[in-house]
Amino acid sequence: MSVTSTYPEQRSAGQNNRKLILLWLGLLAIPLVAVILFAVFQPVKVVPRIGLAPGFIFTDQNGARLTNEDLRGKVVIYNFTTTSCTAPCVDSAPTMQGVQALLARLDTEGIPVKMVTISLDPERDAPQRLGEYAQRLGADPALWHFVTGAPERLKQVVGGGFGLYYKQEDDGVFEFDPMIALVDGNGILRAQYKRGLPDVDFVARDLGLIFDEVRNSTGAGGLVYEAAHLFACYATY
Amino acid sequence: MSDQTHETEHSPKTGGHSVDPQLTDDPMQEASLHVEKWEGIWIRVSVGMTVVFIAAITLAALSFGISVPGATARINPATLNDPGSPFATPGLRELAPGKYEAYMVAQTWNFLPDKLEVPVGAEVTFYITARDVVHGIKIAGTNVNMMALPGQVSTLRATFDTPGTYNYICHEYCGYVAGAPIGHHTMYGQITVLPADETAQVTTE
Repeated sequence: MSVTSTYPEQRSAGQNNRKLILLWLGLLAIPLVAVILFAVFQPVKVVPRIGLAPGFIFTDQNGARLTNEDLRGKVVIYNFTTTSCTAPCVDSAPTMQGVQALLARLDTEGIPVKMVTISLDPERDAPQRLGEYAQRLGADPALWHFVTGAPERLKQVVGGGFGLYYKQEDDGVFEFDPMIALVDGNGILRAQYKRGLPDVDFVARDLGLIFDEVRNSTGAGGLVYEAAHLFACYATY
Repeated sequence: MSDQTHETEHSPKTGGHSVDPQLTDDPMQEASLHVEKWEGIWIRVSVGMTVVFIAAITLAALSFGISVPGATARINPATLNDPGSPFATPGLRELAPGKYEAYMVAQTWNFLPDKLEVPVGAEVTFYITARDVVHGIKIAGTNVNMMALPGQVSTLRATFDTPGTYNYICHEYCGYVAGAPIGHHTMYGQITVLPADETAQVTTE
């Protein structure tokens, strides 16, 4: 570090240069430190983007067509079951009723929400039976759809797309694990509650995080949310 | 500190004909510290390599979606055999034509299951967790190389486009019984990828 030159101009130039480098390093360090602090303290929490939700064309309880495109721009809560799901089959319908009650008292701030029950048993769950099932559950027809489709398509959508394994036993009973899934308005799968049924509180928290993201990710806020996704700032259970 | 400021403030005036910005081109090292030419080159190469490696690891981790163990995939090892848990019946399940999921349990000292058969072209999502201690899984010839931790589900996807056999091993030393032919080194399994014609036979049988 000792200055070998005896010329005063050169010595001051070298120190000037060093100051300039320190200044640049300091300026570079500010965003770096900011990024590290963001990744460590995670001030913004998000729900992970698991992948693209599958496309589908199904028939609902009124015999009308329902596609994934109809649900674009809406946050959708899916569950997968059959109308004849009784013990030992674990039914996700009570949790969905809980979510419906939650949505009634939750302020979604103008963000449209839908609920969709996909029946895995198209042979028995004809539209009429789905309609009766909907009435039995006290479903709001404007909010909650009950759909099913051809077995091969169901397998592609539910198995291949949502990643839920199900199988019809020889006695006609469907064997599957209960699952509830959240899909956002862009058609991206955001949550799969796969291991057992989730508490309605967990669903409420994840819905709240998605609503926050939709509201706040405009302009520079969008970059903050992208950073939160990049650094996996996920809410924990 | 104040001296330096003083000097820098002075430099434009004392500089006279040789103006300051031009002088900053003069490399600082030459003025202050003598570095051998080849030593300097090697210092730059080693610093450059470190930067490239850190960037490559970061990019690879982001582009392959690699994540460190976290709260999003937790599971209680005591509940693995509960009814409804996919780990209670480990093995391969067909989600949709050509798409499979494989639930696997690593335990001292074997994998459940230790044999898998998939048709060629199958896309398999592996879910693996450990029942007792830290294990690992490496499926030779694929990108699957994961830790299997108790309390955590590790997930990776692989597509098997070439028929043949793929061995998988535990690559995390997990102990052994002294004197007994059992332990970490006996913990392995094999995936058989069936060619298209044999797959047709299996499905029609």
